[in-house]
Amino acid sequence: MNGLVLRTMAMLLAAALGAIATGLLLADHWGWALFCTTLIALLAYHLRHLALLNRWVSGASTDPIPESSGVWDEVFAGLYRRHRLEVRQRRRFARLLARSQQAGRALPYGVTILGPDMQIVWCNDSAEAHFSISRESDIGQPITNLVRQPEFAGYIKSANYAEPLEIATARPDELILSIQMVPYVDSHHLLLSRDVTQAYKLGIMRRDFVANVSHELRTPLTVLIGFLETVRDLKLDASRSRDYLNLMAEQGHRMQSIIEDLLTLSTLESALQPPGDERIDMAALLAQVRNEAESLSAGRHSLSVEVEPGVDLTGNTGEITSAFSNLANNAVRYTPPGGSIRIQWRAAGDGAEYCVTDSGIGIAAEHLPRLTERFYRVDRSRSRETGGTGLGLAIAKHALARHQATLAIESEAGKGSCFTVRFPRSRVLAVQPRSVALN
Amino acid sequence: MANDHLSKQFDNELEALRSQVLQMGGLVESQVRGAIQAFSNGNLSLADQIVATEVRVNAFEVQIDTDCSHIIVRRQPAATDLRLIMAVTKVVTDLERIGDEAHKVARMARQIHEHGVVDVQHFANIRHTGDAAVNMLRQALDAFARLDVEDAGRIITEDRVIDFEFKSVIRQLITYMMEDPRTISTSLDIIWIAKAIERIGDHSKNICEQVIYIVMGTDIRHTKLEMGADGKMFPKA
Ligand SMILES: Nc1ncnc2c1ncn2[C@@H]1O[C@H](COP(=O)(O)OP(=O)(O)O)[C@@H](O)[C@H]1O
Ligand SMILES: [Mg+2]
Repeated sequence: MNGLVLRTMAMLLAAALGAIATGLLLADHWGWALFCTTLIALLAYHLRHLALLNRWVSGASTDPIPESSGVWDEVFAGLYRRHRLEVRQRRRFARLLARSQQAGRALPYGVTILGPDMQIVWCNDSAEAHFSISRESDIGQPITNLVRQPEFAGYIKSANYAEPLEIATARPDELILSIQMVPYVDSHHLLLSRDVTQAYKLGIMRRDFVANVSHELRTPLTVLIGFLETVRDLKLDASRSRDYLNLMAEQGHRMQSIIEDLLTLSTLESALQPPGDERIDMAALLAQVRNEAESLSAGRHSLSVEVEPGVDLTGNTGEITSAFSNLANNAVRYTPPGGSIRIQWRAAGDGAEYCVTDSGIGIAAEHLPRLTERFYRVDRSRSRETGGTGLGLAIAKHALARHQATLAIESEAGKGSCFTVRFPRSRVLAVQPRSVALN
Repeated sequence: MANDHLSKQFDNELEALRSQVLQMGGLVESQVRGAIQAFSNGNLSLADQIVATEVRVNAFEVQIDTDCSHIIVRRQPAATDLRLIMAVTKVVTDLERIGDEAHKVARMARQIHEHGVVDVQHFANIRHTGDAAVNMLRQALDAFARLDVEDAGRIITEDRVIDFEFKSVIRQLITYMMEDPRTISTSLDIIWIAKAIERIGDHSKNICEQVIYIVMGTDIRHTKLEMGADGKMFPKA
C-alpha cells in the first residue's frame, strides 16, 4: 500500500481517537466538532495539492513541479524525478535529430525528400544549390514545377529509377548533375543529385584530345604518303625527286615535333611534384632563350633582352627553359618582319616576373581564355606555316603551374601581345651579394 | 463534408493545371536554349530537334486550353480561381509564341551556318542577349511556380536590358553590312534572330505580368512600373 493512503488513514484514525477522548472528557458534541474540523482540514489539504497537481498537468510541459508539503511530498518528488528524466531524454533526442539533420545538410550530395505527389518535403544545402530551390519557401511545391527540364519530367514519369539520369541545370553557370530517385518510407522518394560537371568536361576534353592528335598527325602523314606514292610510281628526274624528298622530310619533321611536344606534355603530367629545387642560373637560361629567338627571327625583328642580375629561381631548369622559349618563340612567330620584341626578367613585388612583349598580330579577346588548350590556335594555317604544333602554350602553362607561377595574357588584335609570368616569393632565391660577382 | 471534398478536388485540378503549364514551359525553355546554342556553335542536329519539339508544345497548348474551358464550365469558379485560369490561358499563348520564336532562331541558325559567309564568333553579343532572354524566361516561370510578385516585378524591368542590347546588335549589323555587302543576306538573317530574341523577352515579361495579375488582381499591362523606396515594384497610376 502506498504511503499517502496509509498516512491519511493513520491521521483519520488519530482524529477519531482524539474525538472519542474529547467526547468522553467533555461532551459528545465537542467530540463531533473536533472530528469534523480535522476532517475538513485534511480535505482542504488534499484538495489544495490536487489543485496544484491539476494545474501542473494541464500547464506547459516545461513548468517546474510545484512545491508541496507533508504526505504529498513523496508523490511530488516521484513526479519530479520522472519529469527530470523525460526532459533529459527529450533534450538528447533533439540533439540527435539536429545532428542528423546537420549531417544531411552538409552532405556533398544533394538530398531532396519528395512526398507522394513529388512535392518537396525537405532538401539539404547541396540540393538547394543544385536545383536553385529553397528549403524555406519551396516546401510543398511539386519538384517538376521548378526543375522543368523535359528529360527530368520524363524520368520522374517513367518511374524506372534503376539508372541515374544526367541533366544540365538551367542556371546561367550551367552544371551537369547526375540524379537518381530512391524509394523511401510511406511512398516518399529521395532525390539524390551529384555535381559531375568536372568529370563531364574531362570526358569531353579527353575525347577532343584523341580526335585532335589523330587529326594533327594525319595531315602531314597524308602529304607524306602522297609524295611517296608519286616518287614510287612516276619516273622523276633527279632534281624533281630531290624537291619531293625535301618536302617529305619537312612533313616528317612536323610529325616529329608534334610527337616530341606530346611527350614533353606527358612527362610534365606524370612528373612528380615538386619539380625539384636546384638553383636555376637565370642569366644563362635567358641567354639561351635569346639565342633561340634570334635564330628563329633571323634578323627580321628588333629584339631586346633586359635581365635584372642576381634574381634566380629554384626549380627545374629544363621545364623553365622550355616555358620561356615557347613564349619568346611565339612572339617571334606571330610578329611580322620589322616588328619589335622585348623580353624582360626582373624582381617584382614579392617575387619575380618574366615578360615578353611584342608588336605583332595580337589576339582577339574571345580567344584568350582558350589559348592554353592543347592544339588551340587562332589561325591554323599561320601556326602551321611557322612550324607551330599548337602545344607550346599548353606545355608552358603546365611547366609554370608546377612552379606555382601564373601566366597572364594581355593582347589586342593588330596591336601586339604581352605575356607575363609571375613567380611567388617561395620560388625566388635571395639576391646574391654583388661583390661576389665582381670578384 | 461533401463540399469539402469537392473543393479539395477542385484545388487538385487547379494544381494540375499549373503543373501542366510549367511542364510546357520547361519544353519551351529547352527549345530556346537549344536554338541559341545552335546559332552559336552551328550544331544543326540541335536545330532539327527544336523543330520536332514544336509538335509537343502545340499539343500542350491545346490540352491546357481544353482543360481550362472544362474547369470553367463545370466548376464556375469564383474570383481568385477564375483569375488563375484566365492567366493560365494567356501564359500558354505566350509560351506557344516563344516556341515559335525559338523555331525561327533555329531555322535562321541553320541557314547562316550553311551559308558560312559570316563568322558567328563576331556576334558574341547576340549570344549574350540570347542568354539573357533564356534567363529571363526561366525566372518568369519560376515566379509563376512560386507566385512571387516581387520577383515578377523585378524581371519585368530586366526586359529593358534586352531591348537595349537588341538596338546595339542592329547598329553593329548595319555597319557590318555597309563595310561588306556580301554579308547582307546573312546579316538580315541575324537581324531576324535578334528580333526573335527580343520578342522572347517581351513574352517573358507578359508571363510576369500575369503572375502579378493572379496574386494582386490588378492588370498591369500597358502601365509603367515604378520602383518604390523599399525596392519593390508597383504600377504607376
Ligand atoms: N605572341 C603571340 N601573338 C599572337 N598570337 C599568339 C602569340 N602567342 C600565341 N599566339 C596564338 O596562340 C596560339 C597557341 O600558341 P601555341 O600553343 O604556342 O601554339 P603554336 O604552336 O601554334 O604556336 C597560336 O597558334 C597563336 O594563334
Ligand atoms: Mg607556339
